[in-house]
Amino acid sequence: MKNSKLAWLISLLLFVALFLAACGGDKEESTDTTTDTEDTDATTEEVATDEEQVLNLIMNAEIPTMDSALVTDAVGFDLLNNVNEGLYRLNQDNVAEPAISDGEPTISEDGLVYTFTIRDANWSDGSPVTANDFEFAWKRAMNPDTASEYGPYMMDGVIKNATEIMEGSMEYTELGVKALDEKTLEVTLEKPTPYFLSLMSFGTFLPQKEEFVTAQGANYAKNSEAVLYNGPFTLANWDGTGLSWQLLKNEEYWDKDTVKLTEINYDVVKEPGTGVNLYSEGQKDKAPLTGEFAMQYAADPDLIHESETSVFYFKYNQERLGEKTPLANVNIREAISKAFNKQDLVDVVLANGSVPANYLIPKDFTFDTDGNDFRDVNGDMAEFNADEAKAAFEKGLSDLGVSELQIELLNGDTESAKKTGEYLKNQLETNLPGLTVKLKEVPFNVRLDLDTNQDYDMQIAGWGPDYQDPYTFMNLWLTGGGNNKMSFSNADYDKLVSSSVNELALDPEARWQALADAEKLLIEEEYGIGPIYQRGLMHLQKPYVKGIVAHPFGGDYSYKWAYIEGKN
Amino acid sequence: MTKYIIRRIVYMFITLFLIATATFFLMKALPGSPISSASKLPPSQLAVVEAKYGLDQPIPVQYAKYMLNLAKGDLGNSFQFKNASVTELIMNRLGVSVLIGSQGLILGVALGILLGMIAALRQNTIWDYGSTLIAIIGISIPSFVFATLLQYWLAVEWSIFPVGLWKDGWMSSILPSIALAMGPLATASRFIRTEMIEVLSSDYITLAKSKGANGFEIAFKHAFRNALIPLITVLGPLAAGLLTGSLVIEQIFAIPGIGEQFVKAIMSNDFSIIMGTTLFFSVFLIVIIFVVDVLYGIIDPRIRLSGGSK
Amino acid sequence: MSLDLKKIPAESFERVHIDSSHAERISKPSLSFWQDAWLRIRKNKAAIASIFILAFIIIMAFVGPMVSPHDAETQTITHANLPPKVPGLEKLGIFDGVGTLAGKEVDLYEMKKVDTYYWFGTDGLGRDMFSRAWEGTQISLLIAFVAALIDMVIGVAYGGISGYYGGRVDDMMQRVVEILYGIPTLVIVILMLLFMEPGVTAIIIAITLTGWIGMSRIVRGQVLKFKNQEFVLASRTLGASNGRIISKHILPNILGVIIINTMFTIPTAIFFEAFLSFIGLGLQAPDASLGTLINDGYKVIRFQPHILLYPSIILSLLMIAFNLLGDGLRDALDPKMKD
Repeated sequence: MKNSKLAWLISLLLFVALFLAACGGDKEESTDTTTDTEDTDATTEEVATDEEQVLNLIMNAEIPTMDSALVTDAVGFDLLNNVNEGLYRLNQDNVAEPAISDGEPTISEDGLVYTFTIRDANWSDGSPVTANDFEFAWKRAMNPDTASEYGPYMMDGVIKNATEIMEGSMEYTELGVKALDEKTLEVTLEKPTPYFLSLMSFGTFLPQKEEFVTAQGANYAKNSEAVLYNGPFTLANWDGTGLSWQLLKNEEYWDKDTVKLTEINYDVVKEPGTGVNLYSEGQKDKAPLTGEFAMQYAADPDLIHESETSVFYFKYNQERLGEKTPLANVNIREAISKAFNKQDLVDVVLANGSVPANYLIPKDFTFDTDGNDFRDVNGDMAEFNADEAKAAFEKGLSDLGVSELQIELLNGDTESAKKTGEYLKNQLETNLPGLTVKLKEVPFNVRLDLDTNQDYDMQIAGWGPDYQDPYTFMNLWLTGGGNNKMSFSNADYDKLVSSSVNELALDPEARWQALADAEKLLIEEEYGIGPIYQRGLMHLQKPYVKGIVAHPFGGDYSYKWAYIEGKN
Repeated sequence: MTKYIIRRIVYMFITLFLIATATFFLMKALPGSPISSASKLPPSQLAVVEAKYGLDQPIPVQYAKYMLNLAKGDLGNSFQFKNASVTELIMNRLGVSVLIGSQGLILGVALGILLGMIAALRQNTIWDYGSTLIAIIGISIPSFVFATLLQYWLAVEWSIFPVGLWKDGWMSSILPSIALAMGPLATASRFIRTEMIEVLSSDYITLAKSKGANGFEIAFKHAFRNALIPLITVLGPLAAGLLTGSLVIEQIFAIPGIGEQFVKAIMSNDFSIIMGTTLFFSVFLIVIIFVVDVLYGIIDPRIRLSGGSK
Repeated sequence: MSLDLKKIPAESFERVHIDSSHAERISKPSLSFWQDAWLRIRKNKAAIASIFILAFIIIMAFVGPMVSPHDAETQTITHANLPPKVPGLEKLGIFDGVGTLAGKEVDLYEMKKVDTYYWFGTDGLGRDMFSRAWEGTQISLLIAFVAALIDMVIGVAYGGISGYYGGRVDDMMQRVVEILYGIPTLVIVILMLLFMEPGVTAIIIAITLTGWIGMSRIVRGQVLKFKNQEFVLASRTLGASNGRIISKHILPNILGVIIINTMFTIPTAIFFEAFLSFIGLGLQAPDASLGTLINDGYKVIRFQPHILLYPSIILSLLMIAFNLLGDGLRDALDPKMKD
């Protein structure tokens, strides 16, 4: 009898298995959403010669929008850079060079009026790209109805009348950009802007075809069919919110002979381990690595290192909710800036190719006219020195008349941020006896809120450049600046930094020196911030993938020059 | 019965209204702005952007507008996805979650019932301990660890299933479903075991035995049916847990479901997605609870639906 | 062979008096509910073993960090990511400090010139995993016990009142539950964690905020099932008070379910905490729980399996022990199983 019971259970188990298998059969037929991609895969495989020009990539987040006026995030800028093209484009050496602009513009003597000639180029629907497409797109980005975030942010103080439009005292149509005819675009600046041409490669300054945008209305850029492309690739199979999409070679692109890839397949993978698994399975050609993985793949020939231009630093808040904090004391700030070992942090804790930062303006980012790195001017500042840190801390404590100090350290809540926070807390407490660091880890939005209200003592913050000039970093700590939010104020600093965009704007050498002096003042005299590291990235990349260009700002990568060689 | 059901449906709407109201004000009370580059914008431009999303109006006005739109079935537009409405977003993502969720639930509960019955019928034997052990492994390994292991062994090492992504049709759903099934499996098997043991020791089973009913008849006809009742009460929460719990699994297997979208929305203060998804989950839950209550009354005749009592 | 009864002398017989006053006498020794339960749980080997395992883990959670030569908080950055090494066992070829680095097997202790022993290895910041694992156990147990207790008290009271009194009271109480139930737990928890100062208290409050609902529904269901049964009706007919019916008749009957459910609340609480770490809302560093340790470990499972392994073993042992003990208690507390 016991056996019969068991037999029954076993048969039940089999029944359940069969039932599930049957259910599965149904579902297999009904899951047809991905067949499009599969079909294209299959056909390309059939016609594949020995060098199939298909790249398979991983993205860490969805595309929030493909509207160049509304885009604010890294994924959006990255894709726009590959499917569209502005007046300028960053080349393989990360120098902005003319793209849709036919050669260099003519610049008026006072440096205020730029006249661009538009080259013969087409949109993906076959119609020509005109000067009006730029005028329309830029004005649209300033139109209050569009409610663009990056438009006003990038144009404020650069393009004529942008500030007034933002304040509401002028109509958006009065923006200093004008199509003189089909092929001639005239841009008037507010004041001479040395980095203006590098701005022209940025996503916010891309063209949009008025006719198309108006016809699409609210539908514009909702999915891959509702956008026009004038860049090396076109976007396909994107439903607006999905986790996968494709880039296809744009046959209408003016420089299509340079483009070798026929297809790039993207999938959003948020879990680094899954990305690595897909890479080792051969489904993906490139996978980002977090620290733990990078360490293990250190000897792998596929490992590549990309340096980034984001710099992370301690923000010392001198006035919390209207009251002075201990960090208003310069000695305390000096002590903290010098009290942690940055080399160990990047080697052991982060291990992702980041480098210690003893500076604010990142390495390999801006160069003078002779091609020398801005970094060469000031070199390293506020380096790790436990003894000096301790001495400064004791001095600071006696200034404040206390024997110990508790400071709150506001931090993000990502994995690597947490690890960094724990390490820094330990370092500071070990090297500065009498200091207690209280960690506060919060999601990004909460941190922004606390930052805006200046409701913190000290935080680990980071900044990535929006254009290729030290000013994108240096203007952060102008007195009363929108991103200051720590009550840093120094008249000399303000004078040096604002001179770089005013009286010194057309004198590159003096300007360079002024910015370098300001950096020194900020970091080594005032200890206004405490630099920590410049972020790096590690990737696994198949050896047959060639020619991907990584950019220091704007879109992260260009695939215009990428190709596959030696896969088979 | 009809009267009871109508009354319950009215209550369901009241419940939904209260949930919508509570979530709305909670969201408004949270720190942080849904506008991603708020800190970069000067106040004048921030005001323009806020005006577009209606964030500049007083909260009661925003609330009234939201509720009116909700009544029309409009959940508003997402902040993260600049051109997508919340309804579209949920619809785009829902299918996948429902598929892996229901497969996980069916698989888990079916196996759980089986294990629970084996354990109960063979109480305190190696069978009992074995099935207990499987159930415990199911709950003592966090789903993200279990999913990682499944992915590593079955997909990377043995290449039986895809590593992830939603590209191979039903094959893509197998590993995520198995990973999701572990929770329901454990819960179901423990419940069934407890209930079966209790039922097996009751008088009517003794009576059935003495009348010469065989083991199968006792196990299935008498014990199983009665043991199912308390299981039904936990099905609701189990199903709801699968939807939210799937976020972990969806992220690890990189599949486009609703769960992983939800947490991303929370992290970026995307009010409209949070509100929309919360309401969606709520409707789902309320309906399940309702169905469970009705079923409970049908299966167990001893329980009178409260609406019918006087 | 037949007996001749007439040959037995009449004196050998004694009259038995049927004393009706003894009709109700119980011949077995009188045992309290708990004595009785203990008698029966003693026979359950699995339950007894579980008690010992639990006792061992709880003791180690407090003693462990003290016996380890390394402190849980000290970061020796040069000792990061070391595999376990135990004196004595190393000679057997296990726990000898050999781990994989960049695909090769190397003695990491020798390579990094470390001459001390880390019994469970070290983590990415060079902290001793032995101390961290046990301190994590402490915090996890604290969260789990407190959360389970609060859940149980609130859930039983709420479900009991709702089910027992029924009618309008039940209806109102169930509406409240439905509203709470309808808001996905995750939202509540995240809102709570954003409002409150993050930490153990916040997590406990967040878990219990909705955790008791499951218990209350189960208790209500059970109470509904029992309150109309004959023995309850009989007791009521005999004039028993509500308090007496609840404590003497209903509660013992549903105790099994309550205990099983509580035994499941403990892993649920520990897990929920781990889940919170997964989405980045767990404990604030440098506090660690089994959940955060496992969350840190699963990412490096292929390279530094020891970081995941030990916290997982402790967690699994806790779960197994709680479950087997729960089963044992259930069997022991079930009044219908008296022999």
